[in-house]
Amino acid sequence: MEIIEKIKTNKIDENLTEIQKICLHKLQSSPLPNPKSELWRLSNKSKFSNFLDYSVNEKDSKFDIPYPKNSKSTIRLIIGENCETKLIERNYSIQQLSEDELQKYIKEQIYFFKENENWSDLLNLSLSCKNNILGLKINGSKIPPIEIFSHASSNSLNAKTLVIFLEKNCDVELLQVNLGKENSSLSQSTFFCLKENSSVNHGVVSYGENRSNLLNSLNVIQQKNSEYNLGSLHFKFNYARFEISIMQSEGNAKTNIKGMQITKKDEQISTYTKIEFNGPNGFLDQINKSLADDESHAIFEGSIIVPKIAQRTDASQLSRNLLLSKLAQIDTKPQLEIIADDVKCKHGATISQLNEEELFYMRTRGITLTEASKLQLSSYFQEIISFIPISKDKWDLLDKLLNEN
Amino acid sequence: MVNENLVKNVVKEPYKYGFITDIETEKIEKGLNEDIIKLISQKKEEPKFLLDFRLKAFKKWQKMKEPDWAALGYKKIDYQDIIYYSAPKQKEKISSLDEVDPKLLETFDKLGIPLTEQKKLTNVAVDAVFDSVSIATTFREELAEHGVIFCSISEAVKNHADLIEKYLGTVVPASDNYFAALNSAVFSDGSFVYIPKGVTCPMDLSSYFRINSGDSGQFERTLIIAEESSSVSYLEGCTAPMFDTNTLHAAVVELIALDDASIKYSTVQNWYAGDEEGIGGIFNFVTKRGKCLGKRSKISWSQVETGSAITWKYPSCLLLGEESVGEFYSVALTNNLQQADTGTKMIHIGPKTKSTIVSKGISAGNSKNSYRGLVKIGTKATGSRNYSQCDSMLIGDQASANTFPYIKSQQPNSEIEHEASTCRISEDQLFYLQSRGIEFEEAVSMMVSGFCRDVFNQLPMEFAAEADKLLALKLEGSVG
Repeated sequence: MEIIEKIKTNKIDENLTEIQKICLHKLQSSPLPNPKSELWRLSNKSKFSNFLDYSVNEKDSKFDIPYPKNSKSTIRLIIGENCETKLIERNYSIQQLSEDELQKYIKEQIYFFKENENWSDLLNLSLSCKNNILGLKINGSKIPPIEIFSHASSNSLNAKTLVIFLEKNCDVELLQVNLGKENSSLSQSTFFCLKENSSVNHGVVSYGENRSNLLNSLNVIQQKNSEYNLGSLHFKFNYARFEISIMQSEGNAKTNIKGMQITKKDEQISTYTKIEFNGPNGFLDQINKSLADDESHAIFEGSIIVPKIAQRTDASQLSRNLLLSKLAQIDTKPQLEIIADDVKCKHGATISQLNEEELFYMRTRGITLTEASKLQLSSYFQEIISFIPISKDKWDLLDKLLNEN
Repeated sequence: MVNENLVKNVVKEPYKYGFITDIETEKIEKGLNEDIIKLISQKKEEPKFLLDFRLKAFKKWQKMKEPDWAALGYKKIDYQDIIYYSAPKQKEKISSLDEVDPKLLETFDKLGIPLTEQKKLTNVAVDAVFDSVSIATTFREELAEHGVIFCSISEAVKNHADLIEKYLGTVVPASDNYFAALNSAVFSDGSFVYIPKGVTCPMDLSSYFRINSGDSGQFERTLIIAEESSSVSYLEGCTAPMFDTNTLHAAVVELIALDDASIKYSTVQNWYAGDEEGIGGIFNFVTKRGKCLGKRSKISWSQVETGSAITWKYPSCLLLGEESVGEFYSVALTNNLQQADTGTKMIHIGPKTKSTIVSKGISAGNSKNSYRGLVKIGTKATGSRNYSQCDSMLIGDQASANTFPYIKSQQPNSEIEHEASTCRISEDQLFYLQSRGIEFEEAVSMMVSGFCRDVFNQLPMEFAAEADKLLALKLEGSVG
């Protein structure tokens, strides 16, 4: 907990950016999240303190990108390395946000932060130095796919921040890859602002190694008529938290989320989502899948908030869970908070193991038990993986997952 | 677009049980301390173990904090401003119903619960509780022939102390929660039921709770024990007069089912809910829990919650015995400024245990209706199964409906399913019914009744009729 001690005791360094100062100041009054709050109650305390045990590293080591670039046109960016980005083509432009724009936007966000709910963001923004913040403004049409990498070096804690403005009428495919090295902690915060009529297929793949930790926070603001599709996958982390907060600021927007987390050994991976509809005619379709094996623990908590203004909202949330071992645990808590009356909202949750009848059927057809389980798992994974952009054909995640099973 | 005003009129219905019985009562002074507890215990001539139980609970309560996680907005309760014991004055010993104050009998008559011999409800034995004491229990002799004990808990303390000592506080320990601790310290009366081995209770048992006094709280305690292979159906009803002040009701209900036993516990709760501005009404903080101790035992909760300013109630089942079954069927209707936070906990501990949850919430006016539930499958509960369904219906754009199900599984060989939906009264259906000549109010009432059908089907006959009537009353307004 070296970092927390530092935050508690240190005076705020003059060299820090204004945002870092504001966040540090906020953190000093409550250096740690309240372990009794619903959002942190199930978090494994020793794993969480292990996350904070590494010292902050502002410069990272070089790393190998896990798969080859799929086509020449793909734009590949690495947070911390390519901070100077300026691509202006005929149809589109991808430019770095100016310091002012970045500051203004983040400050606006911080204003709405709540200490417990946004603790991960506060920590991230107070640790992430200027070089580790990537701010992009994407404009135009026919934009090639974008890949953004973020990673933590061994034996250190890295904080990376990504801010993306998607301008009006813009349509893009974006894959974000978070890589955790052995014995490392990565704090990743992403701020996404979708302007009117824009649409994004956003993929988040977080892939750890031995004893790596991750605090991944994603904040999305959707203006009207925007469409946000998120496919996410988290696996192989000793401890990982994925916090999603989506706000349909004026309603009339579409959100699709398909997420999955896979835990093994004694890992703990949790997903917390909060989706707020702040206007009428909002749409949400969310599915979250978990698979828990060995002695691991998978957690999902999702809340959907529909205030009075959000009439004619159509929201559904499904949590599907596979519990494969006697010592593993699954907690799931889908929530609906509704005040508007003209809405269609539903949620569902299931926890089970692999379907025995299906396994039996396949075995009667001569397929071995291992093969049959693999087949079932592959269909379970496929629904989510096919939703993650770019990677689907190039980086074969499915094989990777199945082989590790 | 459904005419909002019309719908609002439909859900408006004056509270018809709001009268006060003018009867001389014996009250103790306001406040809560060890002396008050000793006084209650002394008044009830209780054995020492019970006084110790109360004092221990009181000590625990003093160290506890009032829970705030349900986010119910209500004025802080001043626990020192409540009278913890209030009883209608009557002759020392009552040997028959003829000696009960006629005013009391009249009160229950007015509530539709006749206690006098000629008018007794056929085949339902009633225990009537007025403020802090039980005033009458009907059909006792008939029940005694079958070995069934049905009496007030104060009588049971005197006559069946061994059973009380053995089971009291084993399902809901005094330290369970703030309100259970308070109840354990000051509980005044309630019902006690004991069904011996192999007996199917020959009639439905019922208790009727009436709060009459405006400044005293009601803290009743119910204990039902079903021995091996026995079965019982128990009904509970509640009403209170209209006061501008809030009255506290903190009850504890404990059920114990041994091998092959089954208990069905049904409630129609219609405490005074306060007026349109939210003034007055009962604060209903209840802890209800059943323990399926034996193999193949079954506990089924069904409830219709229409009253109370605030309801905080989670009838739960601890499924310990192999193949035991827990069920929860609930309809909660809130209107005006009512707040209901209700749901259940199904804790699967034994193998092959099963549970079903069906919850229907209807919110109208400015009310807040939440379902909060927990399904937990422990490591030893192999082959367990749970199915939950929570539906909410919103009437008007000021009401809120929330669902907070919490599911925890530690056993791979188990299956859990949960589904929830929220909707409003379907305009298409309404239009269809109206086009067939059914009036608007009746159509709404029919649709609500249809919405709650799954739960009503689970209620015993007498109650199903009453519940349907109650919802219809609340919803039919001018028609009813």
